Amino acid sequence: MKIAIPHSLLYYYYFPLWDTFFKELGFEVVDTGPTTKDILDKGSKAAVADICAPIKIFTGHVIEGLKVADYVFVPRFARIKKPEYFCPKFMGLPDIIEGTVEESKGRVISPIINEKNNENISSPKIYEMLTEMFGFSHREIRLAIKRAEEVFERFKALLHSGLSCDKALESYKTGRWEKDLEKVKKDGDVTIAVLGYVYDVYDSFISMDVIKKLEALDVNIKTFEMVPQKVAYDNLKHYRKRLFWTFSNRVLGAGLHYLKDPEVDGIIHVTAFGCGPDAIVGRFLQYESDVAGKPFTTLRVDEHTGEGHMVTRIEAFVDMLKRKKWAKLSEVL
Amino acid sequence: MKVSFPYMGSAIVYKKLFEFLEHEVIMPPKPTQRTMDLGVKYSPEFACIPLKMVMGTYLEAIEKGAKVLVTSGGHGPCRAGFYGDTHRNILKSLGYDDVELIIFDAPQDNWRAFFRNVQKIRNGVPWHKVINRMYTLYRFVQKLDELEKMVQKIRPYEVNKGQTTQVWNQIQEKFDKIKTRKQLYRVYEECKQMLLSIPTRKVDEKDRIRVGIVGEIYVVMESSINFGIEEILGNLGVEVERSLYLFEWINDNLVPWILRPKRFKEIIKKGQRYIKILIGGHAVETVGHIIDFKERGFDGIVHLMPFACLPELVTQSLIPKISKEVDIPILSLPIDEQTGKANMLTRIEAFIDLLRNRKRGKTKEVFIDNIQEHVQEERVVMV
Ligand code: SF4
Ligand code: SF4
Repeated sequence: MKIAIPHSLLYYYYFPLWDTFFKELGFEVVDTGPTTKDILDKGSKAAVADICAPIKIFTGHVIEGLKVADYVFVPRFARIKKPEYFCPKFMGLPDIIEGTVEESKGRVISPIINEKNNENISSPKIYEMLTEMFGFSHREIRLAIKRAEEVFERFKALLHSGLSCDKALESYKTGRWEKDLEKVKKDGDVTIAVLGYVYDVYDSFISMDVIKKLEALDVNIKTFEMVPQKVAYDNLKHYRKRLFWTFSNRVLGAGLHYLKDPEVDGIIHVTAFGCGPDAIVGRFLQYESDVAGKPFTTLRVDEHTGEGHMVTRIEAFVDMLKRKKWAKLSEVL
Repeated sequence: MKVSFPYMGSAIVYKKLFEFLEHEVIMPPKPTQRTMDLGVKYSPEFACIPLKMVMGTYLEAIEKGAKVLVTSGGHGPCRAGFYGDTHRNILKSLGYDDVELIIFDAPQDNWRAFFRNVQKIRNGVPWHKVINRMYTLYRFVQKLDELEKMVQKIRPYEVNKGQTTQVWNQIQEKFDKIKTRKQLYRVYEECKQMLLSIPTRKVDEKDRIRVGIVGEIYVVMESSINFGIEEILGNLGVEVERSLYLFEWINDNLVPWILRPKRFKEIIKKGQRYIKILIGGHAVETVGHIIDFKERGFDGIVHLMPFACLPELVTQSLIPKISKEVDIPILSLPIDEQTGKANMLTRIEAFIDLLRNRKRGKTKEVFIDNIQEHVQEERVVMV
C-alpha cells in the first residue's frame, strides 16, 4: 500500500515521525517532493481564490500525491497543547481537501490530533483510526509509534543543537544524523533570526530559499525550531494572554528570545500573504523589536512574488546590519 | 460612567442593557464610510474587517464623549479573541489614556476577571433589580427579533415601496423608549398590528423566493457593512431569513450547554457533516444553516464573510461541494473595505434571476460564484 505525505505544511517538522511510523506499519511512503511551479498552479486552481498560499500549495501536493499513491495523509491538527489550538484552516484541513479535490474521496487518511500536551503527537489513540481502516492491531500501532517517536526525539535534538529544519531533514533522510552537526557554521559576519512557520521558511517557493540566499551572503541563521518549547514559552510569560495558535506562540516566543540574544543582529519575519494569525504575530514582533532596538523586517510573500525584488531587499537589509556592526566595532577600537 | 459599545445589528438592545444598569449611555453612531475610514486608518492592515469597523466605532463614540467601552472577548481559535487587546493597544497609542475598555472574556477562562467586570458594569444596582431587568431585556430581544422576522417576510410583497422599512424604523424608535416589561408587551402588540396593516400583494407560493443569509456574525448582523443586504433582497421581492438573530445567539451562547435549545445542537450536527470539528468563528454553524435552510424549502443561500476570514474560508472551500450535494445555489460574498456596492448589487441581481429561473424549472444549474479576482500587485513587502 502506498501513502503519499504532502511535502508541505507541517511536513517539515513531522516527516521523520510519520515516515518512520508508516514504514514500520508496512506502508510504502511517497514524499511528494519540493514545491514546483506545477504543484502550485494545480493547487491554486483547485483552492478558493482568497485562501493563503500555504494551503494552496498543500492542495497541489495532495493532487500530486493522489496520482502516485493509494492514499494521501492529511492530518487534522486541532491542538497539541492546551489551551491553544491551530489555525482554523489546520483544523478544517481534511474538510478543505474534500471540498476542493474531488479525487480525494475515500482516499484521505486523516487522524484527529487533539492532544492536551504532546508536541510529539505520539499517543497511539490518534492513529487508532488505522485499525478501523486497515485492520492493524493496537499493538502494531503502539510499537510503530514508539519507534517513530524515538526517531523524532533524535530529530528534535538536532534542531536544538542549531541545525535548521531542512538540514536536519536531510540528515534524517541520509541517515547521517549527528555527523551533520559540523554543518552548523558560525563564521558569518552577522547573525539573523529568520522567524516564520516551517512551511513558509523552508518552502522553496514561498520563501524563495531565503535561508540559502542569506547564507550565501555570509549570514549565520537562527530559526524558531532551534528554540526549545519551554524557552519559547518562558518568554511569553509577561503577556496578559497567549495567542490561540501553538506555532504562532512559538514563533513569537522564539522572537522574544532572540531579541535578548546578543549574537543576533537582526530579525526577518517570513509570512505568507493572507495569513490571519501572522497579522497579529507580525505586529507584536515589530513592536517588541522596536523596543529592543533591533532591526526587524517582514518578508511577505505569495505565489506572485518576484524573486529579483526580494533579493534586492534582503541584500539591503544584510548590508545595513553589517554596516551597523562595523560602526559599533570601530567605536570600540 | 459614560458607556459605549460596538455597534452590531440591534444596537438599541445594548443601549437598553446599559440603561437598565443606570449608566449614562453614549449611543455609538451607526457605522458609515467615515467609521470605516477611521477604522482602516488606525488598525493593522491585515486585521479582519470587523475589527477595523469596531475600531472606527470606538473612535466615533469617544468623540461623542464615551469614557468606557464594553465589549466581549471571545475565545479561540479565531482572531476575535484578540480584538479587545488590539483595540486597547491602539487606543493607548493614540493617547486615550482616560478611556477604559472592559473586555468580557468567557467566564470559564478567568472567573475572577469576569466577576470583576460584572461588578464594574453592574454599577451598584441591587442584584434583584439587575436580574429582573435582565429578564425584561431578554424578552425585549425576543420580541424585537420576532418583529424583524416579520419585516423580512412582508417587505418583498409591500405595495408601497419603502413602507415596511419606514414602519420598521418607527418600531425601533418605539422600542427605544420602553422601560418596563408591561410596556414591552403592549408596544409589541401595537407594532405587530402596524406591520400587519401594511398593504401587500398576493403572491403565489410557486413565485415566492426565499433566501437564507449565513456567515460570520458581524457581517451577517451589521447592515452597514453588508450594504443592507436584507433590504436589497426584500426590494427585489425576496423573503430573507438570517442564520443569526440576537435572541437565538443569546440562547445558543450565554445559556449553559444543557439548557441550550435543541435546534442549536441540531444545526451543529448538520454542519459536522462537512466540517467534522468546531474550528472557531461560525464555520460549522454556517454549513449547518445552509443544510437547514434547504430542508426548510429555501431557494438559495447568500454566504457573507469578511475577506480572508479564516474559518469562513474553510466553509467557502466546501461550498461547491455542498451546493451540489445538497442541491441549493449559494452565493459567496467576501467583504472588505474595497468591496463596492455596485459590484455587489449586480451579483445579487444575477443570483436572484438564477433562483427564479430554477424555480420555474428553466434551469437546473447551481450557480457557484468564486469571488472577484483581487488585483494582484507585487507582493513582496519589506517594512
Ligand atoms: S497559519 Fe497562516 S499561513 Fe498557516 S494556514 Fe493559517 S492562515 Fe495559512
Ligand atoms: S471569524 Fe473571521 S472575521 Fe472573525 S475574527 Fe475570525 S478571521 Fe476575523
